[in-house]
Amino acid sequence: MSRRRIPWSRGLTRRDMLRMGPGAAAAMALGCAPGLPASAERALDAGRIAGAVVGASHRQGHLLRDGARPEPRQVRDVRVAIVGAGVAGLSAAWKLARSGMRDFAVLELEADAGGNARWGANDVSAYPWGAHYLPVPTAEATATRELVAEMGLVLDTGPDGEPVYDPRHLCHAPQERLFVDGGWREGLSARDVVNPAPGSAEAAELAAFEAEMRRYRDYRDARGRRAFALPVAAGSADAAVAGLDGMSMREYFDRAGWSSRRLRWYVDYCCRDDYGCTLETTSAWAGWHYFCSRPDDVEYLTWPEGNGRIVRHFLDRVGGNVLPGMLVYRVRPTASAGGGGVSGGSVSGGNVPAGIVPAGGVSPGPVSSGGLPGAGLPIGGASTGPVSQGAFPGGRPPDGVLPAGVVPAGAVPADGVEVDALDTRTETAVRFRARHCIYALPRFTAPHVIDGYALAGLESFTYSPWVVANLTVDRPPDGAAWDNVLHDSPSLGYVVATHQDLRTVPGPSVLTWYLPLAVPNPDAARAWMLAQEWRDWASLILADLVQAHPDIESRVSRIDVMLWGHAMIRPVPGFIRGEARRRAAAPHGAIRFAHSDMSGISVFEEAQYHGVRAAEEVMRALGHAHATSL
Amino acid sequence: MDDPRTAPAGPLGAGTGVLLIAVFTIATCGLIYELLAGTIASYLLGDSVTQFSTVIGAYLFSMGVGSYLSRHVRRDLLIRFIEIEILVGLVGGLSSPALFFAFAEVDAFRVVLYGWVFVTGVLVGLEIPFLIRILKDEFPLHDLVSRVLSLDYLGALAASLLFPLWLVPQVGLMRSSFVFGGLNVLVAVWTCHYFRRRHRRPRLTAQAYGALAVLGLGALFSDDLTAWSERRLYEDPVVLSRSSPYQRIVLTRGGDGVRLFLNGNLQFSTLDEYRYHEALVHPGLAAVAAPRRVLVLGGGDGMAVRELLKDERVEEVTLVDLDPMMTDIFRDHEAFATLNGHALRSPRVEIVNADAFVWLESNADRYDFIVVDFPDPRTYSLGKLYTTTFYRRLAGRLNTGGAAAIQSTSPLVSRRAFWCVVETVRAAGLHARPYHAPVPTFGEWGYVLASPEPLALSDAFPPGLRYLTPAVARSLFEFPADMAPVPVEVNQLNNQILVRYHAEGWQQYADGRPVTHP
Ligand SMILES: Cc1cc2nc3c(=O)[nH]c(=O)nc-3n(C[C@H](O)[C@H](O)[C@H](O)COP(=O)(O)OP(=O)(O)OC[C@H]3O[C@@H](n4cnc5c(N)ncnc54)[C@H](O)[C@@H]3O)c2cc1C
Repeated sequence: MSRRRIPWSRGLTRRDMLRMGPGAAAAMALGCAPGLPASAERALDAGRIAGAVVGASHRQGHLLRDGARPEPRQVRDVRVAIVGAGVAGLSAAWKLARSGMRDFAVLELEADAGGNARWGANDVSAYPWGAHYLPVPTAEATATRELVAEMGLVLDTGPDGEPVYDPRHLCHAPQERLFVDGGWREGLSARDVVNPAPGSAEAAELAAFEAEMRRYRDYRDARGRRAFALPVAAGSADAAVAGLDGMSMREYFDRAGWSSRRLRWYVDYCCRDDYGCTLETTSAWAGWHYFCSRPDDVEYLTWPEGNGRIVRHFLDRVGGNVLPGMLVYRVRPTASAGGGGVSGGSVSGGNVPAGIVPAGGVSPGPVSSGGLPGAGLPIGGASTGPVSQGAFPGGRPPDGVLPAGVVPAGAVPADGVEVDALDTRTETAVRFRARHCIYALPRFTAPHVIDGYALAGLESFTYSPWVVANLTVDRPPDGAAWDNVLHDSPSLGYVVATHQDLRTVPGPSVLTWYLPLAVPNPDAARAWMLAQEWRDWASLILADLVQAHPDIESRVSRIDVMLWGHAMIRPVPGFIRGEARRRAAAPHGAIRFAHSDMSGISVFEEAQYHGVRAAEEVMRALGHAHATSL
Repeated sequence: MDDPRTAPAGPLGAGTGVLLIAVFTIATCGLIYELLAGTIASYLLGDSVTQFSTVIGAYLFSMGVGSYLSRHVRRDLLIRFIEIEILVGLVGGLSSPALFFAFAEVDAFRVVLYGWVFVTGVLVGLEIPFLIRILKDEFPLHDLVSRVLSLDYLGALAASLLFPLWLVPQVGLMRSSFVFGGLNVLVAVWTCHYFRRRHRRPRLTAQAYGALAVLGLGALFSDDLTAWSERRLYEDPVVLSRSSPYQRIVLTRGGDGVRLFLNGNLQFSTLDEYRYHEALVHPGLAAVAAPRRVLVLGGGDGMAVRELLKDERVEEVTLVDLDPMMTDIFRDHEAFATLNGHALRSPRVEIVNADAFVWLESNADRYDFIVVDFPDPRTYSLGKLYTTTFYRRLAGRLNTGGAAAIQSTSPLVSRRAFWCVVETVRAAGLHARPYHAPVPTFGEWGYVLASPEPLALSDAFPPGLRYLTPAVARSLFEFPADMAPVPVEVNQLNNQILVRYHAEGWQQYADGRPVTHP
């Protein structure tokens, strides 16, 4: 073993490192930790471990940057255009379809739908590329409860009136363990982690922390709302609660006088895990939300492909309406376009979906070349590899019907939307003319994509970059839990994709390793992240895992790495209560917004809430009868 | 012959006598090595006929190779002979410890075994041709050949009598190996000594003494080595040992019968396995009105199947066991197939090698009676086979009026674990009838009958049972106070509480603490 300098840090100046802050520096320090045995280096050099960085190709971005200002030559009319097939966009589609409305298209940049809940698969197992579990939904998350029931995850109703879940889908035991002080310890609650000596000051601090947690959990405001709910929108607006957003979790700890190193580590870990932020950069509101929005003994629903299982369910329902490989580069509210005006026509181009017509004379005016996102466009730029989940629509969606009512939206034309997208496979541009648009891309993209859109304070939407790696191993580590956390690491450890396997003797497996770049300056960390190559990631990941698994390098045959540039919205102090976040939900003409960003916390329930909410608003505007899920 | 000066004519003088004694010694040693290898192979791998035949065959063949190779050595024959003796002494002398060690530590045991046999054989094969050539000037050829070969066969006779009568019972495999290796080296030392004037080779002499010291130490500490290797193995001699991708299968045979160990855990002893298996199968089987189709999950040893086949109402039995090696051993190995009365070869039996949980999921057939005979829930992987999810799946495979008998660990040692199985069966929507039976090598053992409809017990057992009688069967459903129900949680995939209960119970038992229940 040698303490070696990481070669790729050469291109980086000291100032860069300082700008990136301690987290990224720590992440890099992983690479020169005294842990990576020479044998692991040799394994990498000899190519015994294969792999690739997936999802950082930026091919699609270049299509635009290289001066291509595509002129849509085809037009397609749909009643509703949904932009982005992440959980929010797919949830909107799910709600529309569930309400009997099928004339919509979901435009997704990537070859596979799912956004942060995408997944991959190899011979060994399916595995998540991002979101890997859904906590059993609370009573407030009505849409999520409706969804899990529809998925057949609920066996029946318990004596308390609560759903009883099929244990096959609940995370099996052992759920969590922590590598600390040179050994593994089962459990990952505050009590498991702090593990204080009875009667010590630390025990008292832990008790105070737990009491605080109970206090916020039990809190009900005058309207009977809980302090912290999922979705966030169902929680209390009381100043006593909202005020927590004015300080960081760290300040909260300082004020409470809690100094236990283990307790601070634990809460910092939770913040990194859920938000990609540290104790210092997470608002106390978001910190307590994490601990108090769900019951103490909450269970998790999980599958080999993580929340990809839910995405698959969505695709079962609406997959025919999802158009993958569609880079949406311009969205424009119009006064004249509308669904039902033009439809049908000839199909042109191999992969162009039915229903697209040459834009000839029917196109309403020239395509503006301004507002092209260019390099600034947030490109997921990721492909999950072997599995293709999204599907082109098989047939032509029914023609739109003219709306019964039109939503007034001030000065912005509100009776239609044009959505221009580049079909990245044929490299042809398509214009979708819709009555309504649900914009389910991350919110920071809006000014780049939507004509004439501005939102004061939009720069307060900041995002943490994440690195996710999937390691194919010959078998899960001995005694592996589902979630295996390393105490002395900037990474979050790994999740075992085959954990829910019912076989008695485990075979090969896939470990999903997570690293949030939880630093004060995410832009610099993002740039650093994108500059690394596969070899760099592979040795960094092995060096991280070798501390707990000395034989890891002989067990791994493949390491695939996904780089998420804008993985998660950061709930820094002030963001939740901020003006920008609250105004972000306001529609822009016939454009409605749906993305978990707008909740300030990046979780499934929030994404789904916004998608369903936007879909219901659209249906209301269209006079389409539906039952609410909210 | 002790004094070179009184030696007969010929260039070697009195040394010829020394060399003839050497012939006898090395012949004895050579056969001992062969017998050691054959015995150890049969102990460790079982099937002694095969082991002995292959070891002897390989040994004789490699001796031939040695004899053939001897022609390539032209000069310094005496020196080469001394060197060979030192080497044979070391290789042969270390064979027992090496083979025991290899068995415990190396996956490819057979490679080590036959490699070792081959090297020993080649070296031994070199000895006699060398000696004949060394002695060829001392005697006329016809005399020489007759002397050398008769001594060689005499040595073999000595070895073949010594080995079973004295060495194995009194000296032990480990010490015999060191002692005879030492004798071989002594031949080298002696030869060095006698021919020291003609061939002064102080380095060779030192090497010979060094080898002697190593083997001497080995002989001195061979009891410790034996204890060590047996501690690594089992109480009784191992008659069969296999490693499958799923487990390590070891069968031992001792004074009180054959025992089966899976990954070191006792599965049965022929002393009393009939108690365990009769109690597992018959109370439930008798309670089912028409048990035509029967499923056995786990239980690849075929003992439960043997019990089932005693009942003529049973038309077909499907045995699902993960490990083909298990079912092969108990179907094809005569010595073990007799234990289950060749049940696995019955035309009424179909063997499926699959993971029970996965198989249940993919199979939609229904059965009248199901025997669930899995290892105890020692690990989370095994604990899955005792969850509500598993029992729900099981319920889906039972015909109305059917029942399942589930082995459920010891209600005495791990009371909570036992009652947890009972409660878990109930939580899966089945009726549960707990019972227990004393099995001396296991202790008090527990079972649960699970059925979609309440079961009416019956005494109509098939003939030929050694343990169960109607009166005994009735008593099994009574629980004494120290095994009475305790409050427990239900075992679910997401809590696996049973694994904890089981570990608690057995840990306390191992610690000798009283098993208390709040
Ligand atoms: C590593 C990681 C782990 C996570 N783990 C969990 C977890 O375990 N549980 C949990 O509940 N949450 C988890 N999350 C949070 C996750 O973000 C949310 O659960 C949810 O998936 C967010 O969905 P969304 O639709 O709001 O956003 P996104 O997933 O960001 O969806 C946006 C979609 O828009 C597409 N898009 C972007 N630009 C364009 C364009 N120009 N044209 C067309 N399409 C475009 C994207 O490709 C994407 O599909 C995790 C997030 C990450 C990054």
